[in-house]
Amino acid sequence: MLELAARCGALVLLAFMIVRSAAPRDSAVVRERTDSRALDAALNAWTLAPEPTSVHVTAAFAPAQKEREWLRALARAGVRVSWSGDSLPATAIEVAARADPAGGVRAYVAASSGSGAMLSDAVGLIDTLDITRGANVLALRVTAGALDLRVGDQHARAFAPDSLLPRQVVVLGRAGWEGKFAMAALEERGWKVSSRLRVGPNVFVTEGAPLALDTARTAAVIALDSSAASYASAIARFERSGGGVVLAGDAPQAPALRALAPGRAGTRIAAASLSFAGSTPRRALGFYPVVGLAGDAVPLESRDGYTIAAARRVGAGRVVQLGYDDTWRWRLAGTGDAPGAHRDYWSSVVSAAAYRATKPVEGASRLGDAAPLALLYADLGAPGTPLAAALQGAPGLRWWMFVALALPLLSEWASRRLRGAR
Amino acid sequence: MGKRLVTRTPTTFTFATAQYESGDWDSAPLVPPNIIDTIARYTEIAVTPAGVIVSLASPDLLRYPLVYLTGHLPVRFSDAERRQLREFLDRGGMLFVDDHNHDVDGVFHKTATEEITRTIGEPKMLPNTHPLYSAFFKFDEGPPTTSHELNGWGDNLVHKNLFAVMREARIAVLYSSKDYSSEWGYHPDSKRFQSVDNTKFAVNIVVYALTA
Repeated sequence: MLELAARCGALVLLAFMIVRSAAPRDSAVVRERTDSRALDAALNAWTLAPEPTSVHVTAAFAPAQKEREWLRALARAGVRVSWSGDSLPATAIEVAARADPAGGVRAYVAASSGSGAMLSDAVGLIDTLDITRGANVLALRVTAGALDLRVGDQHARAFAPDSLLPRQVVVLGRAGWEGKFAMAALEERGWKVSSRLRVGPNVFVTEGAPLALDTARTAAVIALDSSAASYASAIARFERSGGGVVLAGDAPQAPALRALAPGRAGTRIAAASLSFAGSTPRRALGFYPVVGLAGDAVPLESRDGYTIAAARRVGAGRVVQLGYDDTWRWRLAGTGDAPGAHRDYWSSVVSAAAYRATKPVEGASRLGDAAPLALLYADLGAPGTPLAAALQGAPGLRWWMFVALALPLLSEWASRRLRGAR
Repeated sequence: MGKRLVTRTPTTFTFATAQYESGDWDSAPLVPPNIIDTIARYTEIAVTPAGVIVSLASPDLLRYPLVYLTGHLPVRFSDAERRQLREFLDRGGMLFVDDHNHDVDGVFHKTATEEITRTIGEPKMLPNTHPLYSAFFKFDEGPPTTSHELNGWGDNLVHKNLFAVMREARIAVLYSSKDYSSEWGYHPDSKRFQSVDNTKFAVNIVVYALTA
């Protein structure tokens, strides 16, 4: 009877062990981490035997792309992966090559409003930023390698994904100082400029290929004044196909160009100041105010209640309306490096509208995480609770089960031997 | 200080004559109205009806990107004139200098070219294929000959070329020994008595300055 009981007990225990071993394993090896260096080492350990059933990452900053991909691979292999990180800052950076022959990039950075950020490149720190209203835009003339935005321990990194292919700027209008010095400023900045300037009835001074109004050859066209209306249909076609248009001075007063303009050109306002000295030298310039702004127009420059520059999208291209018609006076009579400031201004106006013909930079997209928190969500899902406490002590095949199995079998064997049975 | 003679809008072209401390800067008072008449006659360029006189030493020089300078007497720029003129040229202005003596051995030529050299650099011969000669009218043989050259006055030479100091590809200083100041120094009403208008080259100078 005792022998039968011992055998039955052993069989029951064996059955239990078989069932338990065949069931999904829920005995976990849990790891927690606080920084990426620990995660890297932990990933190595988790990948080697004994394979964990569940891992959890407590992140002070978002894991890098390689680590996220590794975690995803573990998840695909059946490991339960979760993460948590209450203090992870949401940061993002986007970098685009500026449409400017002088080069440089425009960096769009985002972080929690009011947070302090540091922007650096491969050479070192570029600037510190107080993030206002969640986003900032920076124009950087020279950068080396990827741009790194750091908020606390969180890094967001991006690289200009493409480089610009050069295109010409076309200047159309009447011969005058404004056209001459706008062209000089753009050429000095590195733009290739073609022009067709009217000096008499059917008499034009032509330089380059000003009538090549297509995005294969031209980035932007500048209409200096209303005389450019005779090219209105070509300008509109160019703009709708992606080209940039700058309507300066009274150009939007021409009915043929009005449809493109962000607003109407109002009555010319005389200069508010006689001096170019000070921080707002353009106060010494007269201008045509942009009035009756279109609903989709964006004011770019305002002063004394007047909008002086505005932009809008029409079709695939962009139009900038610039109220000034005598910026040449700033270049000649301005204080300090007025020619340099005039160059920068005209180049930025053209850049704001210009068609960007680009060539992708190979491998640029692999250079970093532009929005690490968003990528963490995309790769690993929403944060979960730590699994460590729940999984500690979970059942599995343990050494005492083998002892418990051996004991009844040994008892039965000993009993049978003692009574002489086989 | 320069003397503003008329009200103008910033977008019009105003002919400016340079006033300098030495010499006879006002030796050709009829040239400005004659050139203004020519510009209005042949082009659509909005032009101020009367010219202005602007001191080389004045910041007002920077309001007139094309300035005409002439004289018979020695030219010696003051430090202030030289400094202001250099800034004017550096910022893209253009100076047209004409020797009213038509004499390369004369005092104006010697001193003016010296001063130009000191201020911005030595004038070099301008090829007769330069865009200046096709900016509006075509002058296939270079600068048009003046009656003073043909009459044997001055140095008794017909100057085949003008001279220029270049900034990049642009003329900063245009220097003439041809005495256009005499050639164009008559009342515009007298133009009707001429079979060929001898002021046409002035249109090229102005159009070049406005477009190059």
